[in-house]
Amino acid sequence: MNAEFQRNLWLELTARRMFVMTVVLALIFFAAALTDGTVSGPGSVARWLYYAIVVIWGTRNAALGVVGEIRDRTWDGQRLSSLGADTMALGKLFGSTSYNWFGGAICLIVILADLLGTRGPFVALIDLVYYLAIGVIGQAAALLASLLAARRRQLHSRFDVFVYQAVGIFAAVAVYLVWAVADPASSIFAHKAATDYIIWWGQPLAARGFLLLSLAIFAAWMLIGCYRQMRLELMMRNGPFVWLGFLLFVGVYVAGFDAWLSSNHTLMHLDAVARRLLLAGTTLALLAYLMAFLEPKDSVQYRWLGGAFAKLRIGPALMRLQGWMMAYLAALGVGIVLFFWLGRTSTPSDQAMLCAMLGFLTRDMALIVMGSLLSRVHGSDFAAAAVLFVLYVLLPAIVKGLNLEAAQMFFFPWASEPSWLSPVVAWGEAALAVAITIGRVVLPEQHADAQTAGA
Amino acid sequence: MIDVLDLVYEYPSVRALKGISLHVAPQTITALVGPNGAGKTTLLRCLAALELPYSGRVTIAGFDTREAPRDIHARLGYLPDFYGLYDALSVRRVLIYAARSHGIAPALAGAAVEKAAERVGLLNRLEAKAGELSRGLRQRLAIAQAIVHEPRVLLLDEPAAGLDPQARRDLSALLLTLKDAGMTLVVSSHILAELEDYCSEMIIIEDGLIIGGKAVKVRDVERPRYMLEIATARSDLREFLAGRAGLDVIEADDHHALITHTKNAAARARLIRDLLAAGFEVSSFGESTKALEEAYFRQVGHGR
Repeated sequence: MNAEFQRNLWLELTARRMFVMTVVLALIFFAAALTDGTVSGPGSVARWLYYAIVVIWGTRNAALGVVGEIRDRTWDGQRLSSLGADTMALGKLFGSTSYNWFGGAICLIVILADLLGTRGPFVALIDLVYYLAIGVIGQAAALLASLLAARRRQLHSRFDVFVYQAVGIFAAVAVYLVWAVADPASSIFAHKAATDYIIWWGQPLAARGFLLLSLAIFAAWMLIGCYRQMRLELMMRNGPFVWLGFLLFVGVYVAGFDAWLSSNHTLMHLDAVARRLLLAGTTLALLAYLMAFLEPKDSVQYRWLGGAFAKLRIGPALMRLQGWMMAYLAALGVGIVLFFWLGRTSTPSDQAMLCAMLGFLTRDMALIVMGSLLSRVHGSDFAAAAVLFVLYVLLPAIVKGLNLEAAQMFFFPWASEPSWLSPVVAWGEAALAVAITIGRVVLPEQHADAQTAGA
Repeated sequence: MIDVLDLVYEYPSVRALKGISLHVAPQTITALVGPNGAGKTTLLRCLAALELPYSGRVTIAGFDTREAPRDIHARLGYLPDFYGLYDALSVRRVLIYAARSHGIAPALAGAAVEKAAERVGLLNRLEAKAGELSRGLRQRLAIAQAIVHEPRVLLLDEPAAGLDPQARRDLSALLLTLKDAGMTLVVSSHILAELEDYCSEMIIIEDGLIIGGKAVKVRDVERPRYMLEIATARSDLREFLAGRAGLDVIEADDHHALITHTKNAAARARLIRDLLAAGFEVSSFGESTKALEEAYFRQVGHGR
């Protein structure tokens, strides 16, 4: 058996804890059965209990899988073990949540019994896959967030753990909402009929099958993400290709939903290709923002990276590129393609707006890195988040209040007159932010060199 | 066994290691000494392939920390200065997990656990919960975790911190046993006295640099240092000693001599007999217990 999984079982699945879980759940289902028709039946209660035990509680335990080790000072010992990254990641993901899955399994038995009696074996099977997927995706997202944070070498307070748990719950809620679109039994979109077909890349596809496959693929990507972050923790190197593959997959996947934009008033004049490129580029840019906030921003690593590129050691440098850098470059690449496409099919003002968007994206990436490097609390992103809030919300609100709406082009993409002014402003700010950030990265090295020379 | 070449390690605001080079021979115990904040722990973490250097090269048993960190991890035992244990597990389960996670097959894990527990004197406490052990016993368990897979290299960061005198003596004996079993040990401490009993080499690190540029040989187990004292001054003491085979004079004056000599008891008895026969009034003759301390201050003095 996986050694890490076994250790977690020793800690989590003691006979006493299993007995308590079984008795408590049995009593709750018994009570639900007695009040059937007046409050809620056992099947319905089991669904909510499943979400509580596997999703809410399970994401917390998954988040603690690594953070707890760091807090208890056992993580270095684990990093020095001979366990592979896959063994460690799976052992932690399913081991630290084994008690939750034990309770979840009891709930699933009740849910399946209910479904078999009311909606038949096919629906029961599909729902079983859904429940397993929502649990795995939520817990894997929480573990992934905690692994990313572990690499930032931050202190891990209760609040931090709550944040990682919240990431997992957010992922699970996203799965729940997406599934509800095609679930006739869902109460979320009760006012709308469940969607039978989804238009993807112009093709109508059976909604439940499409969503089920999507969930399975995203769950697999989530597990791959945990595995790759674990590799980094175990001092192994990740090549850029898997992340680039994920970016490509996400770009293509999201671009397929262009039909949803066809009714948008501001975008309906764009052709299908432009809409798809816009969707893919926007998604890649959002991933760049997300990763820029999540990944560690270490001036030493950036200096090393700059030095490697300067010495034309391209291979090792590419191996050390961070996720946000690749997502940013991918977004930029898609943006450039879209720019030329718009030159053939749309107006110069659309091109100018796109150019400004890319400029502000570049500025924001530099600001996020700079904010972290300048922060008094090492690695904190609070300063960067505050600056972005000021730039995107506070200052635009003030200039708007002063009837200086045109000045909004200094803060975010804004249709200016003449149209080239907005991109010039955006790229000017980007150049300034990038220059300051590079200066912040390079200066400590010169200081350290002087120190060493002095010694 | 351990080779470090021009190692530089940086934290975002400070360069912690400023170009360290060193060599540690197999089956030795090397002391890593220096004041708090000198860079000892950072160096140990770089040796353990837990941190990647900014520049330079670290090889352990022929494996580069940058190229093959997992190969190094498999051959390494590391006891950090602040370590944790799985308090809710029994000593046996803690060690079984350590053995299994270091690649020992399930069928062989039991024997490996018993051997490690025996080495650290925990054989009669295998069923006790780790959280119920005293500080000294927890330290032993942490060491047992680090050696259960018979690593070739063992790195210990302040292993005797907080231990009582008896536990420190037990630790010294254990480390010598591990060295004799073939392990190469590097032990970090800022307390010289606790390293005196078992270290043969010393690396003095201060402000991210090795004082003197290399390891200093402080003790030869086969040829320890002895301090000789005579009651009446004799100017020919050095000359008498220097003329004898198998004996080296490190320093001498009319009353004292610091020498290295074979550990053989009969040879020592012969030396004392010859000294007395030559009219030297031997008032004291014993193994020097301050070798490390003397070497440290001599080296630090040179380094400044």
